[in-house]
Amino acid sequence: MPVAIAIRNLSKAYPGRFELRTLLRRPPRQPPVRALDDVSFDVNEGEIFGLIGPNGAGKTTLTKIVATLVQPTTGTVTVKGFDSVGESAALRKLIGLAAAEERSFYWRLTLEQNLMFFARLYSIPKRKAEARIAESLAQLDLEQSSRKRFGELSTGNKQRMAIARALLNNPPILLLDEPTRSLDPLAAARMRSFIGSLASGDPPVTILLTSHNLNEIEELCQRIAIISHGRIRELGTPDRIRTLHKARERVRLVLEGISLERAVNVLAPALADVEVVKDGPRTLVTFSREVGDDRLDRGLRAILANGTRVVSCDTERASLLEVLEAYEREEKLRNNREA
Amino acid sequence: MKRILALFDRMRAFVIRDFQLAVSYRLAFFLRVLTILIVVTIAYYVSRIFMGSAELFANWRDPLAAWITGLAVLNYFMTNFSSLANAIRSEQLQGTLESVLMTPISVPGLIVASSALDFLQATLFSLLYLVFGAVFFGVTYQGSYLLAFLILILTTMVFASLGILSASFAMVFKKADPVAILLGTGTAVFSGVFFPPQLLPATMQKISKILPATYGLTAIRGVLIDNHGLHETRGPIITLFIFLAVLLPLSLWIFSRAVRRAKREGSLIQY
Repeated sequence: MPVAIAIRNLSKAYPGRFELRTLLRRPPRQPPVRALDDVSFDVNEGEIFGLIGPNGAGKTTLTKIVATLVQPTTGTVTVKGFDSVGESAALRKLIGLAAAEERSFYWRLTLEQNLMFFARLYSIPKRKAEARIAESLAQLDLEQSSRKRFGELSTGNKQRMAIARALLNNPPILLLDEPTRSLDPLAAARMRSFIGSLASGDPPVTILLTSHNLNEIEELCQRIAIISHGRIRELGTPDRIRTLHKARERVRLVLEGISLERAVNVLAPALADVEVVKDGPRTLVTFSREVGDDRLDRGLRAILANGTRVVSCDTERASLLEVLEAYEREEKLRNNREA
Repeated sequence: MKRILALFDRMRAFVIRDFQLAVSYRLAFFLRVLTILIVVTIAYYVSRIFMGSAELFANWRDPLAAWITGLAVLNYFMTNFSSLANAIRSEQLQGTLESVLMTPISVPGLIVASSALDFLQATLFSLLYLVFGAVFFGVTYQGSYLLAFLILILTTMVFASLGILSASFAMVFKKADPVAILLGTGTAVFSGVFFPPQLLPATMQKISKILPATYGLTAIRGVLIDNHGLHETRGPIITLFIFLAVLLPLSLWIFSRAVRRAKREGSLIQY
């Protein structure tokens, strides 16, 4: 699949602050702050690629470098072959950025006036711009508010406007920063469906999505990268990443035709640490196991040998949140050891 | 050519945006016009005190004409200077800089385009000083309006160079440029807007000689009040060209360094 965004050995260090009171010290500046450290990955055309990590991990810096707003210290970013430093103007024509920042619009102008201003900066002819603005506002359920001042919109609608603006020049690549942060659950679901439709449209839009909403990332993204302290810790499909750091999983069996006491007695020789509760006519059994061990096998054999019917068997997989937490714990341990 | 047309397109976008924003504050515009009328009226009555006693000083035969040309030109210079200097800063403070820079506009293009309406407004307000003086208080202007306009453009370019220097400072240090403050007050006090610089002590007169506004004002007043031609105004004009020859390349060089530094440090979009 062709690569839309290629990131190679990208590092970014922000210079330390210059302070007058430290002028007599050598060096007078505070040490540089390393925001990104040797980051490399590709985003394929038509892919929704998720970037997750805690606050301060480097997600925003990475997005801004791709958007040409910040220059890297070392390494390169190319978007459809255009370099983010040397060919920034050409690259910007290919990219739409929807940040979660409400202040990025003119609050006293109407939605139409705001979008028309940005359309003019993209040199979109007036008629085409009007049609595009109407289409974008309709796609994002904002057409009723088109003559309202931006300042009069709800927070959620302000966020939709950021996406409407990002779509103005029909960019083949979208950078979305927490696109559903301020939306109610229903609107968030509609937005996710809209984002999905962009990626599967013709031509498909490539999307680099940063979010703290891990369910959203799991639902939308084909691949994700976990970034922490400026480094990519893991990269792959959500399924693969979930299994990397979770050695244990929770198993939940729903049984029929067995009493609570009988279930405890049957399972006790086969499994330790089992929780058994009654739920109406059914009995619920839950226990933890190492992924791939024989506890599930032993438990099922014991139950079936008793002639009991197994209604369902679910395993509760690790969430991306747990994976993120695992990386943070590792990082803290490493820092403590180094300290 | 294509780039110039694109710049005009973007200037148009900013002029329309700023006009729409200005229309949302209609009262401010009318208050500004009223303020100019009040200032010109006060200048007229104060000038009656000095009528005939300021003839010793060049351009000050009619103090009212000297004041309103001085105020008109000062307004023009300072608006143009500060609008260039504040272009990036005001977008930073509004929070819109990032979204504007995501479009295919360059940083120099943004500064020029976002100052366009300020230039137009400054032209209108400066003309109002002159028009109110002529219509309500009988001030007459002589000489070549074209020559006066060309000197105004020349001095404006010198101030624009200083504005670019100030913009570079604001971009890197995120603070109002102290040079801008000194230039503003220095121009008002020492360049002869309100009184002839010859009245200042000898040491302070030297300050007036290093301010480009002094030369711009002397030349424009010479043309409009004393009917001077190109020959009589060549001294200030040559001095203004020297200012421009030094300041324009210097300011553009410093500006390009400031943009590069701000992008490298990631500070362009911070405030």
